[in-house]
This record gives sequence, C-alpha cells and structure tokens, in this order.
Amino acid sequence: MIEINNLVKHYGDKKAVNGISFTVEDDEVLGFLGPNGAGKSTTMNIITGYLSSTSGTVKVNGHDILEEPELAKKDIGYLPELPPLYLDMTVLEYLNYICDIKQVKRSERKEQLAKIIAMVKITDVADRLIGNLSKGYKQRVGIAQALVGNPSILILDEPTVGLDPNQIIEIRKLIRTLAKDHSVIISSHILSEIQEVCDRVVIINKGKVAAIDTITDLSKRLAGSSKLLLSFKGDAKKIMNEIRSLPGVSDCKIRISDKDIHEAEITVTGNSASDIRTSIFYVMSRNSSPIMEFRSLDPTLEEIFLSITAGT
Amino acid sequence: MIAVFKREFLSYFRSPVGYIAIALFSFLSGYIFVNNFATGAVNIASEVISLRSFFVVIVPIITMGLFAEDKKRGTEILYYTSPIDLFSVVAGKFLAAFCLYGIMFVNVFIHMIVTKSCDGIVDIGAWGSVIVFFFLAMLFISIGIFASAITDSQIIAAIFSFIMIMVIQLLSTISSLAGNAIAAFLSMLGVASESSNSVGEAITNGINWLDPFAKTSDFRYGSFSVAPLVFCISFAIVFLFLTFRVLEKKRWAKS
Ligand SMILES: Nc1ncnc2c1ncn2[C@@H]1O[C@H](COP(=O)(O)OP(=O)(O)O)[C@@H](O)[C@H]1O
Ligand SMILES: [Mg+2]
Repeated sequence: MIEINNLVKHYGDKKAVNGISFTVEDDEVLGFLGPNGAGKSTTMNIITGYLSSTSGTVKVNGHDILEEPELAKKDIGYLPELPPLYLDMTVLEYLNYICDIKQVKRSERKEQLAKIIAMVKITDVADRLIGNLSKGYKQRVGIAQALVGNPSILILDEPTVGLDPNQIIEIRKLIRTLAKDHSVIISSHILSEIQEVCDRVVIINKGKVAAIDTITDLSKRLAGSSKLLLSFKGDAKKIMNEIRSLPGVSDCKIRISDKDIHEAEITVTGNSASDIRTSIFYVMSRNSSPIMEFRSLDPTLEEIFLSITAGT
Repeated sequence: MIAVFKREFLSYFRSPVGYIAIALFSFLSGYIFVNNFATGAVNIASEVISLRSFFVVIVPIITMGLFAEDKKRGTEILYYTSPIDLFSVVAGKFLAAFCLYGIMFVNVFIHMIVTKSCDGIVDIGAWGSVIVFFFLAMLFISIGIFASAITDSQIIAAIFSFIMIMVIQLLSTISSLAGNAIAAFLSMLGVASESSNSVGEAITNGINWLDPFAKTSDFRYGSFSVAPLVFCISFAIVFLFLTFRVLEKKRWAKS
C-alpha cells in the first residue's frame, strides 16, 4: 500500500506538483492520468525516492520514503520514463548487475532471474547487447529490471509510449499478467491506454488532482456525451442536415475536403451512441453515400476534464 | 561498491576508452624507455616522472564518462532508487579508474624487469617515484570524477578536469608568477620593497603549499615521508566527498 499525502514539488518558482494526495491499495492497479507536463513523472520520481519533495509525505507499506528509505525502496520496482538501461551490456549481465545493486541474495538470484526472464519473454535475447535490441524489447528489459528483488509494488511511467501498435498490445498483456500479484501505478496521457488494465484512475492536471474515480464510474460520467467519426462520399451538406435532425445528435461538424471523401464529427448526447449508428447507417444508405470509415472517437483529456468539472 | 566497480571497470573494455588509454600509456612509456635504453642510461625514476605529464590527458579520458554518461542515459536513477548508498557508488567508480591506471602501469613494471635482467639499476628512488605516481593518480582521478558529476556533457567534464589538472601541474610556475606580480603591484603603490617582497613570498609559499609535486619531490631520491601521501589522500577524499554531495543535492533539484 502506498499513502501519498499532500505532495508538493517546486522547481524554482514553478510548482510541478502542488498538493497531491491519494492512496494505492494492495493488489490494486491504479491509472495515473494527466496531460504532458501535469506532474506525473515528478510524482513518480518522488514516490520512488529519486527526487525529494518540497513538502508532503510518501509511505510505502508503512515506511516513509525519507525516514526509512531502504525498507521503502525494497518494495518498489520502478520503470522510469526513460528506461535505465546500459546499452553496452548484455541483458543477462545487466540484470545481474541490477541484482547486485538491489542486494538480491546470491542463492536466490538464479531462480529469480529465470522466472523474470520467462515472464517478460526475453529468453531469446538474454545474451544480446541491450543497445542492439528493438524498442519493444528494451522496454521489456526495463520492466524486468523493475521486477528484480520481488517488489510488491510496480511503478510504470508511460510504459507504452513510443512503441508500435503490436508492441503496445504485448506490453499491455504483460502488465495485465503482472497486475495479478502486484500493486501497480501506471501513468499515461491517454485514457484508453490504461482503461482496460486499471481499477481506478487518479486524474491530475497542472500539479493538482482533478478527480479520483473507479473506471466504471468514470465511464458512466463520460457516457453523457460521446463522439463518432464518419468518413463518406456524397453530398456533404444534405447528409449533415439529415444527421443533425436525428434525435440524440447534438452536433455534427463536417470537414469538406477537396477530394470526394468528407469527414463528419458527430456529437451524441445520452447513452444513445450505439443506437444512433443504426440511424446514421440508414441516412447514408438512403443517400447512396458510401461509408469509408465509421468509428467512435476517444474523449480527449480536455473533454474528460470538462465533463468532470461539469458534473460537480 | 563492488558491483559498481565491476561494471565500470568492465565497461572500459566494452568501449574504446580502456583500449585508448592503455595504448596511449604503452606508447608513451615505451617511447621514453626505448630512448633511454638506446643511450644506455635507463632511469626508471625519471621515466615515471615524465609520465606524470600525461595525467592531464589520460585522466580526463578515463573519468569524463563515469557520471556524465549515467546522467545522459538516465541510468543514474538506479543509484537513487535502489538500497545502495551514494558514497559507495562514488567509491566504486573511483576504484575502477584507479585500477585502469594500475593496468596501464604494468608497462613500467615490465620496463623494470627488463632493466633488471640487463643488469641495470632499479633503485629505491624508482620505487619512490612509483609510489608518488599512484598517489598523484588518486588525486587527479578524484578531480576527474568530480568534473564528471557536475555536468551531463562528457566534453565539458573533460575540459574541466583538463584545466584543473593543468593548473595543479603548473602550480609552481603560477605561484612564483602570482607572488612576483603582487610584490610588483604593492611596490608600485609605494609599499616599501622589503615588505612587498615578503608579501609576495608569502603568497608564493601559500600557493606552493597546495603543490603535490613539490611535496613529493624527495621521494625520487629515496627519501620517503608520510605527510605528502596523507596530503594526496586527503585531497582525493575531499573531492570524492564533494562528488557525493553533488549527487545528494540532485535529489533536491531546484532548477
Ligand atoms: N528538472 C526540472 N526542472 C524544471 N522543471 C521541470 C523539471 N522536470 C519537470 N519540470 C516541469 O515540471 C512539470 C511537470 O513535469 P513532469 O512531471 O515531467 O510531467 P508529466 O510526466 O506529467 O509529463 C512540467 O511543467 C515540467 O516542465
Ligand atoms: Mg512524464
């Protein structure tokens, strides 16, 4: 369990973190969501003991990170934004070095490393130089590093950023496996990125907590309004008017392009997003307008902030 | 400490740095030795003393990356988030650079053996120079490590330690220049020449007190004393401690 109480961090005059408090329960997966520059990395750096806070406390399983740093750090595995890898070492050399500095007992080392390597699936590259690995594999080695020493808590700072879609799916799968027997804090600036793995989210903005909510409650609140994206060919004006007049549609903006494919951004109110798709299909079909693309748009963080503040 | 030492020492040989340093030292020492050998006047003490002039090049090469590279790659975070204490990180890196010097110095030991086997003389003065060399190496390496900790650019670290070591090597020249300049300045202001000269002399002596070369100059004649060695070690410890403080401070980053 992690208890974070009124954390403040100033960089000179700048308040990067400005009074953040939340707790992470045992075996919980907590999403830490906020736009770039919100203070996610700074908060995580303080929790893990890399930075000192200007004020406020962090307790890890009851141990204060400043007063009993050894005990607190022992329970935490950290994957920073930039994975701390030595490119000139092989994966195995590197993980052995991590065992050394995390003071893993010699007798336990072999077994523990074998388990970690199998779990994060880096067996094939164990003897390769880290510098020669792909980004996805480097990220896995970074996660392996965090797992050394069997910490009960994992802190992952934007673990999927910069990866390609396949690698993202793989890393997410790995995180879901790890979530079974660890408490996890995972940060992101995209809600959909962490929606599937997290129990709760803490949303921060400009160094302050904007909301703490379970994923289900948050989804309910966001369901108040959703957006659909439609690309089509045909008479843009006419179709726009017809879609606008559908019940449940509050707005429809169309970008008319030079080519013959137009894009419409449709705002739907209420929980009717799924029903409205049927009606829109018939509109298109009546007009013999081919649909090129039709999908729901993830809410942006700004929209999330708006709906959160509107609800309270 | 052992873990950091092992990693840093081995990493000298995963990059060109270790090889470059060893090749450079081998070439320089070999060149000096062969030249002396050809004239039939082998003098290990003077060879070792000549080799001291190259601290200014070799120390920056082998120390510039020690902390700067960690900062650039983001690996320094490992020191802060694991139970290891920061002073042992500093000590481990120091030891790695020092051992690399030890390996380079094998050249000189080989020259000693060759000299012996050709019925040459390896006297107590030669051993005295060797001892001084290693104590000076400690001092300069600690400066190089400090330089590496205060910046994340290897180039800036190298330039900084180059200048610091250069200044220390030129300390005897600097001290007399400074002493004379101040004496001249004072007499220009109308101070009696006797007192202005004594002020100048005091300044020269004061600066000379910092000069590790002057302090250890008797070793080559086989006259050993503990005080100069303690001076070198204290100097090194001060810089290693400053390095430790710099790392500690980072946690409180204000900028
Ligand atoms: N070392 C630093 N010096 C000064 N400002 C910093 C430093 N690190 C971060 N900041 C500032 O603090 C704020 C929070 O940064 P960060 O915690 O990295 O945000 P996030 O991870 O949410 O993108 C940003 O505005 C950033 O510019
Ligand atoms: Mg960040």
